[in-house]
Amino acid sequence: MYQYDQIDQTLVDERVAQFRDQVARRLNGAISEDEFKPLRLQNGLYLQLHAYMLRIAIPYGTLSSRQLRALAQIGCKYDRGWGHFTTRQNLQYNWIRLEDAADALADLAKVQMHAIQTSGNCIRNTTTDQFAGAAHDEIEDPRVWCEIIRQWSTFHPEFSFLPRKFKIAVTGSPNDRAAVRVHDIGLRMHRNAAGETGFEVIVGGGLGRTPFIGKTIRDFLPRQHLLSYLEAILRVYNQFGRRDNIYKARIKILVHEIGIETIRDKIEAEWQAIRDGALKLPQEAIDQIAAHFAPPAFETLLGGVAPEYANAFRTDFEFGLWARRNTFKHKQPGYSIVTISLKKEGEPPGDMKAEQMLAVADLADRYSFSEIRVTHEQNLVLPHVKQSDLPALFKALKAYDLATPNVGLASDIIACPGLDYCALANARSIPIAQQIALRFKNWERAHDIGELKIKISGCINACGHHHVGHIGILGVDKNGEEFYQLTLGGSADQDAALGDILGPALDTAQTVDAIDSLVETYLRLRRNSDERFLDTYRRVGLQPFKEAIYAAA
Amino acid sequence: MAKAPKLKDQAHIVTANHLTSGDVVYLTVRNDWSRDIAAAFVAPNAEAAAAWLAEAEAQAARNIVVAPYLVPVDAGTTLPWPIQFRERIRAAGPTTEKAAGGVA
Repeated sequence: MYQYDQIDQTLVDERVAQFRDQVARRLNGAISEDEFKPLRLQNGLYLQLHAYMLRIAIPYGTLSSRQLRALAQIGCKYDRGWGHFTTRQNLQYNWIRLEDAADALADLAKVQMHAIQTSGNCIRNTTTDQFAGAAHDEIEDPRVWCEIIRQWSTFHPEFSFLPRKFKIAVTGSPNDRAAVRVHDIGLRMHRNAAGETGFEVIVGGGLGRTPFIGKTIRDFLPRQHLLSYLEAILRVYNQFGRRDNIYKARIKILVHEIGIETIRDKIEAEWQAIRDGALKLPQEAIDQIAAHFAPPAFETLLGGVAPEYANAFRTDFEFGLWARRNTFKHKQPGYSIVTISLKKEGEPPGDMKAEQMLAVADLADRYSFSEIRVTHEQNLVLPHVKQSDLPALFKALKAYDLATPNVGLASDIIACPGLDYCALANARSIPIAQQIALRFKNWERAHDIGELKIKISGCINACGHHHVGHIGILGVDKNGEEFYQLTLGGSADQDAALGDILGPALDTAQTVDAIDSLVETYLRLRRNSDERFLDTYRRVGLQPFKEAIYAAA
Repeated sequence: MAKAPKLKDQAHIVTANHLTSGDVVYLTVRNDWSRDIAAAFVAPNAEAAAAWLAEAEAQAARNIVVAPYLVPVDAGTTLPWPIQFRERIRAAGPTTEKAAGGVA
């Protein structure tokens, strides 16, 4: 993992001191709310529906056990003993007091954490594949590039007041687990004909009220030019992005309005002027960052399945279910990647109690080189677990209600905080997710249905990524009451697509029943159990699903 | 400066967030703030509501609360009952099971 140097630590410590002074001046009336609001937002402190909410940055979703313990302790000391993992691999505390906010940030700084780049019209926390550095299908560890982007973007003076927020995601695998095609900039690492590693650069993707799949602006960008090319994109956006209308200010609108060819010309022209300047990355600098992400001291294990694992798989049915859904192939023989579901049926997706955080920190120390990852699908990951340790890990997770075997299934739902917490929401998300998850609690049915990504947003801002759900659910307000519009066929993967609207919005009870009907329709239409919901939808189209929901009306 | 939207001539209460804690609060008949919506003073019509909001804004300027605004309520109930679903959640706290025990 990346470790702060003195410059990083000083920067974060000074930021805490600055914010402490700003809070004191707000509390004694020296500055007004209008003056204070942008300052608190730059430190991740929002005023939500019920209280202040503090959003903590977890750069590229990577945590140490020490950091997770600190998050648990901060949750107990300043909040209500739990936290909520978000779709940007961050963590939110929902009940922070203004007078405690600087102390919470000071405690975070002690473990090299902060709330910078979690709000405001700046380059936000870069996200990536939660399996980075571990996945068998990875070309290169994307965290190296995320850290390079972090160092370039944090407090970048030219890009601190962009037309609107700006989100970058990186994948080092051809199997996109970072949703790069729905980001302002998506970076997909791949090899060119000469075998060199570089980036496909994708711009103008995004969700929100005007969703777009990003367009490729450059097929192959050599690694040493990453920062200069990003700088060129940001400069063009900063100059030409709209500032007259908040809803049309993202780069996706600029790309849409002036066209990919025009914006490419502008970016390439800008890049030609700066490409060999100060931002050109020397190999030594890349190597220096990469050294922080060197693989841990894996044991050399024989190929094949560890006997402890094979035995438990045969004899323990629950373990077998969990191992099938919640583990992923590691690049190192004898190791697996474990996803810890934060989607126990009936619980708010992404919520985690402090005692669970402490337990996972201990398990990371024991089984995964003290490393934890946060996924944009609101789960946690232990990236490096010996297969022979999987049965013991499963047992330990189960004791903390953290062994739900549902990763990628219908109950593994992304849900934004919705109207239960968010000041912008029109409808609740979490209770709908809870009801749907309970509807699909039967393991036999859930596993038979197979991969099904349900994503719920409580408003058009789409923090729950509903546009790219196999089934998307958008909460809307109709005369003060909650209704839900369904979309089908979205995907955030390498085959990214936006969902199609199914029909008129439904009330809460109808919505949960409708999800059931859609699934039953899929089960009736699928060719075989290998054909996923998304595949069936793409083959048969909207109509049979539409009829299943609206024919009786 | 943009003109304030015309108020519907109906009952309103005033709500805000407490500056220090962030808690949801309501302006009471004693001209102070309560976390309990039952203690909120109900302004019976638009004219009274506008005057009541002006008082709340003065308190915001004195750094007691943040961002006060009017909430239309059903005056036919014993206790103020917000007409908008959003405000009912805001008054009662999150509806999710985990948070239910912790609502102030």
